[in-house]
Amino acid sequence: MSLQTPRILPAHLNAFHPSSSGPRSTHTVRILGTVTALRGDTATIACGTNGDVTLILKPDSHLQMGKLVEVVGKVADLEGGQGLGIRVLGTTDWGNPADCDYKIYEQVVEATHRFKSIFYDAE
Amino acid sequence: MDNYNNYNSFSGSGGGGFMPGETNSPSGGKAGDRDNKTLRPVTVKQVADASQPYPEANYQIDGADVANVLFVGQVRNISSQSTNITYKIDDGTGEVEVKKWVDSATADSMDTDEGKAPADGKSEVELNGYARVFGAIKSFGNKRYIGAHSVRPLTNINELHCHILEATAVHLFFTRGPPGGPGAGANAATGDAVMGGADEYGAGQNRALMSMSPLAKKIYNLLKTDPQDETGLHMQQIASKLNLPATDVARAGEELLGAGVIFSTMDEQTWAILEY
Repeated sequence: MSLQTPRILPAHLNAFHPSSSGPRSTHTVRILGTVTALRGDTATIACGTNGDVTLILKPDSHLQMGKLVEVVGKVADLEGGQGLGIRVLGTTDWGNPADCDYKIYEQVVEATHRFKSIFYDAE
Repeated sequence: MDNYNNYNSFSGSGGGGFMPGETNSPSGGKAGDRDNKTLRPVTVKQVADASQPYPEANYQIDGADVANVLFVGQVRNISSQSTNITYKIDDGTGEVEVKKWVDSATADSMDTDEGKAPADGKSEVELNGYARVFGAIKSFGNKRYIGAHSVRPLTNINELHCHILEATAVHLFFTRGPPGGPGAGANAATGDAVMGGADEYGAGQNRALMSMSPLAKKIYNLLKTDPQDETGLHMQQIASKLNLPATDVARAGEELLGAGVIFSTMDEQTWAILEY
């Protein structure tokens, strides 16, 4: 089976954390947000009105402030018990956040999890 | 002479007996292909899960034959050969190989005529960029791949999201029936058992309605819900109730009459729902 990376919102981080119940086959997810802070090896993205997510960057991650990015990464614990974040595996730059209707993305996430049989294997 | 006779008898009986069987099955399959001109929005996982009722048969997704599929994903690998370009496409639900045959005519025109180049898209699909793929599900050995008619870059994220929602909507259409129909709730209870054993006549009418224009569905719903006597409603009444031009109503009415879901009562322009 090839790698599946379900699209999520910050609220779903818990469900895809390795410690969450059930032997889930994937902890790798996709998330969409606007880069709001860059701090060397971490960054923050804002996911519309759904809150922020901290990213743990790779040395070769190239993020730009204010750009909309799609992140593929693994759900991970942040250092110092600051909750959950995403360890970045790859990013795609989608340019200006104004060109994306985030409401559509929210619907996409909703559809992904409500009708998961066409998106990912649950177990 | 012996050889000649052997050849003769082979072509006479063996070949003759063989031919009908041979031509029947492939042409039967081809006829299905020709009738089924659908282009279905899907996810890569649906391609991977597509079933074949028997070898060489058309692929089925959600129990419905698929001729061509359409999907959007990230390009994870591009390998150019002399006859084709193979892309590996990942849309977050799985990965699939996509083969686009190189059309020498287009390749030539690309060298000479830059204005026409985008049609092929060969030079524009980037590694790790998004692409929209349109093609048919094929297999080689045990490996499933897409024989692509078109692979083009995708740059607007809303198109990606729209595609995912479209694929979901079409999946639900095939597994639960058309939106808002009476069958929607009933079929959902039977899970993903698609379009099989129609449980009621309503479902049959529903199926006829599925392929109709939105206006025809609207008129059908009005006839179904609006209080009326057994003679139904006149075309003009329908037009004024729906606030639509009578010509449009007449055209949609033709559609419904043709499918046999409504029938004319007092005169040609008065319609009622055909309940059976």
